[in-house]
Amino acid sequence: MSRRLILLFAAALASFAQASQLDLDSFEKVWTTIRDKHWQVKPGGLDWQAIHDEYRPRIEKAASRDEARAITQEMLGRLKQSHFAIIPAAIYSVLDQDEGGPGVAGIDARVLDGEAVVTSVDPGSSAEKQGVRPGWTIQRAGGKELKAIIGQARSNPAVHELQLTRAVLARLSGPIGGTLDAAFLDGSGNTVTLKLELTAPRGTLSAFGNLPPQRVWYETRTLGSTAYVRFNLFLDLPRIMARFQQTVNDCKSCDGLVIDLRGNPGGIGGMAMGMAGFLVKQPNQRLGTMYMRDTTLNFVVNPRADVFSAPVAILVDGCSASTSEIFAGGLQDLGRARVFGTPTAAAALPSAFERLPNGDGFQYAVANYVSEGGQPLEGLGVTPDVEVKLTRAALLAGHDPVLDAAVDWIKTESLRRKTP
Amino acid sequence: MNRRMSLVLLWGAVSGFAADPLPSAESVLDRYVQVTGGKQAYENRKTEISHGTLEYPAIGVKGAITRWAAEPDKYYASLEIQGLGNVEMGVNGGVAWENSAILGPRVKTGAERAEAIREGNMNSTLHWRKLYPKVENAGIETIDGEECYKIVMTPDQGQPIVGYYQKKTGLQVKITTVSTTQMGDIPVELIASDYKDFGGILEPAKVTQKAGPQEFTVTLDRVEVNPAIPPERFELPAEVRKLVDQAAAK
Repeated sequence: MSRRLILLFAAALASFAQASQLDLDSFEKVWTTIRDKHWQVKPGGLDWQAIHDEYRPRIEKAASRDEARAITQEMLGRLKQSHFAIIPAAIYSVLDQDEGGPGVAGIDARVLDGEAVVTSVDPGSSAEKQGVRPGWTIQRAGGKELKAIIGQARSNPAVHELQLTRAVLARLSGPIGGTLDAAFLDGSGNTVTLKLELTAPRGTLSAFGNLPPQRVWYETRTLGSTAYVRFNLFLDLPRIMARFQQTVNDCKSCDGLVIDLRGNPGGIGGMAMGMAGFLVKQPNQRLGTMYMRDTTLNFVVNPRADVFSAPVAILVDGCSASTSEIFAGGLQDLGRARVFGTPTAAAALPSAFERLPNGDGFQYAVANYVSEGGQPLEGLGVTPDVEVKLTRAALLAGHDPVLDAAVDWIKTESLRRKTP
Repeated sequence: MNRRMSLVLLWGAVSGFAADPLPSAESVLDRYVQVTGGKQAYENRKTEISHGTLEYPAIGVKGAITRWAAEPDKYYASLEIQGLGNVEMGVNGGVAWENSAILGPRVKTGAERAEAIREGNMNSTLHWRKLYPKVENAGIETIDGEECYKIVMTPDQGQPIVGYYQKKTGLQVKITTVSTTQMGDIPVELIASDYKDFGGILEPAKVTQKAGPQEFTVTLDRVEVNPAIPPERFELPAEVRKLVDQAAAK
């Protein structure tokens, strides 16, 4: 008995010792990667060796993996740049799932005036069948008051709209096949309590390299003589590029095209160039420039043989990030698109993911990106030409003021072009 | 002062006397042809289909590469990467092109076109005199503990290539150059290793390419020697042909 206890104790000690060494190795991997691969020889303008000497002793003294991870994350924070993050192993391995789980309630939401508001409801979802409508306020989900969560998150100025929205949407998720108790405030001011079924998110599961598999969807429709396209990620490249090409080809006689990138966090940066090739006729144009340590890359646009020449409107919000910003900012700078909505997430840096020795994921940026007009997208984002905010009142009235503004502009612009 | 000058002169004379004279660049490049199979082996090769794999470990991407080539200067290559789709490129009749799901079709011009046409040369190792009018031996550098001749090869158009050839074996183990691409000039370092006999010619079975912070490895798995390749294999894809015709119409 006592021998067994000793063995167990020894095993626990060995496990602890191993975890510490793995955390040290992980710290070294993170620090070395930034030293060797950051686009600046002095990452973030810092003395990177001094940073190592400051943080290494703290990692050595860390009592747990959580503490070691927090210290490493703090070190990354010194860069003051996005796309540098430690993703805990448990989350990294299931990143295709939201915090609550992979099942979703079929509701998209944004934080408007400090409250979580439904912006769209998936057709056929349990939420739609039970009458949830855009504009409803989500008061509680899974027993948690969302307003309190939003208030708490907003108390930290570093929390951006993108993170805030993700935190809200995570509360609307759970295991597939499970249910979610949610309370809404409807358009008449009544509280509606519902039990929503959680299902797999819409879209096709798509894998790319070390990125966790993610569901990608693409939708298109016509609004009068204007084509409208929306997709949730710049991923699943062959399928999404083919669909976009099809949309453009089907739209040869349209008054214009609306590309809705609200909520699109980005993906494969090159897709911005490829899609722009369907919209930009002039050769030798570029969306912007990416700066790496040894290389400068121009994000060039290859005009396709059949280019769409009617007006293009792009819709963005604070959850439009990375490739969405490269695409929207570049076409805005080239004068090829008019951008509607609210400022983007200002998180455009291209990044890679690697698995650390302790199993955590490590995201790091390998370049800086400046849009064609000279605007560094990191930290500044894309400022819309026409700033239009979603409001709960408009959503309840069945309107999308951002989309409405874009369609109105396309009508006017199309008429102007047709007028001799 | 006189004494110091004498020492400098003496040192220079001694070191000059002691060092082996550098072989000419021409002899180093000819030796590479010889040690990898000889002139006849290259001349016997009229067509080939190479099969390999590409691995980009930093982002966990793998792909399959197949390259069809025919004398004197035609090639078509296909790279299939999961999640990125197919990337095709080729050279035929002086047209260098590329077509991918991500960027669409395009025709290469200028230095990029010249570089692609050199790459399209079926037996570029043998034909270095034609491809690089100026070659020079820039000295000796040690790579992985082995002394190598550093040969600078300058083409008529485009950036010079620096090849490193082991003094002991004559094999090329490294290339550095600045690759001209549509997105800009990219410094490239290629590390060649694991030479194997593919149908009578020694070729590096593993080439690691470093371009900026990116590093990927191409492994050559198999080479079909002198297979029958139908001419249409090298024809321009319809989308590329359309761009060529549009440019000609202007």
